[in-house]
Amino acid sequence: MGRRQFLAMLRKDLLIELRTREMLLSMFLFAVLALVVFHYAFDPKGGSDLTPLAGGILWVVFLFAALLGLNRSFAREKDEGCLDGLLLCPADRIVVFLAKAAANFIFLAAIQILVVPVLALFFVHGGIASHSGPLALVVFLADVGFAVLGTLLATMAAGTHARDLLLPVAFLPLVAPLLIAATSATTDLVSGGAGIGDLAGRLVFLAAYDAVFLVAAYGTYDYLLSE
Amino acid sequence: MTADDRSREASLSGPGDRPRGAWRRLVSPAALFAEAGALLVAGFLLAFWYAPTDTSTMGFSQKIFYFHAPIAESALVAYAVAFVAGVLYLRRQDERYDRLGAAAVRLGLLFSVMVMGSGMIWGKAAWGVWWAWEPRLTTFLIACVLYAAYFVLRWSTDEESRRATYSAVFAIIAFVDVPITFFATRFLPAGLHPAVITGSGSGMAAPMLFTFLVCMAGMTLLLVALLRLELAHAALKAEVEELKELLDREPEPEMAAAAVASSHETERGIP
Repeated sequence: MGRRQFLAMLRKDLLIELRTREMLLSMFLFAVLALVVFHYAFDPKGGSDLTPLAGGILWVVFLFAALLGLNRSFAREKDEGCLDGLLLCPADRIVVFLAKAAANFIFLAAIQILVVPVLALFFVHGGIASHSGPLALVVFLADVGFAVLGTLLATMAAGTHARDLLLPVAFLPLVAPLLIAATSATTDLVSGGAGIGDLAGRLVFLAAYDAVFLVAAYGTYDYLLSE
Repeated sequence: MTADDRSREASLSGPGDRPRGAWRRLVSPAALFAEAGALLVAGFLLAFWYAPTDTSTMGFSQKIFYFHAPIAESALVAYAVAFVAGVLYLRRQDERYDRLGAAAVRLGLLFSVMVMGSGMIWGKAAWGVWWAWEPRLTTFLIACVLYAAYFVLRWSTDEESRRATYSAVFAIIAFVDVPITFFATRFLPAGLHPAVITGSGSGMAAPMLFTFLVCMAGMTLLLVALLRLELAHAALKAEVEELKELLDREPEPEMAAAAVASSHETERGIP
């Protein structure tokens, strides 16, 4: 039920991005620039080991890159009048939400895949190849949470006149728990050499967070898109 | 107070809030303020002259706990009220729930700021620092920023029904987020906060517990009293807005007067 509409909407978003590439390109450039800024902010003498800070750097950079993309995701629908078209199509509102969240998730994951190796190159002594499995799991679970909450808030932000001002103000405190868990897990992985067993509590927490906000979105999204 | 005034007050006091007889006198806003004030004064006296001074580690600075913890509890109650009001608004689309939610968040925010203020004073006395990244303090800080965003959302949404819907959804999500935040802060390095009430009991001597409960009741009543005042204010404001709109729409004086009169009738007629 709704699978075909879901795939059609997801395809639309991916196609737009593949043809314009404006969102992914600017997110990636921003992330790399931010990594460079962090180098100069934390390591003015050069040469010292920033590995213990790498987890924090990754998630701060990623958080702001994600905000860039999320802001665009609904602004685009609004500006081109595409939202009215989406609302007119014979699908549940929640299908619209899931398709949007899935597209956002794919963009966020794509950026992560590109940014994490750059981070490892710049900041992590010894590389991250040996932890890539657990790290991918942490990144996956956190990205789901980012996409779900980000899509929900971007929908609201697009309906206000503050738009790109409102999203960061509302998004940052809401994802604070996600950020705390993901940062501490990444730091332990990259600098402490923790195994997947040590991360179990935080992984379960991230999964539970995703589940809770998926349910919250499922329960409230109908009302957000009801005009 | 005439019967007319009273029925008007009842209709302004908020959804599902229709006390009768002797109850009505006990829970009128003025009475609530008097009760809250009496309990808080009693709590103050008890805290300083009845409850024993903590002998373990805190010493005299532990006294602030009798106000700090009840304020924290009241803030959480206010957020819970906003959550329930949000759910009810989405179900019934009644703007009175929107007003209740906004009033509850405003008070929750006020109480949260007071929690952090009293927490910092206590922290300075007990730990020697004004601020520590300690789970409960961190949680309240994030809750403050989060619920401040609620008002950014409200101010930047013009259309009334949309503003109410967004606010309701945000209040629901925010209330779900606060306990998760508290849980997440445990991933940070261990904290300093005393765990006063744990699963195995309160760990307080009886006089301390009694004092604490008096303060708790007083602070909760103060919250309820402020909430009713806020609601009455919001309802009056809505009424004024409505009348202004009517006046703008009907420029002829006789027609405007008639419209005002009829709007008064409908206001009172709300079941």
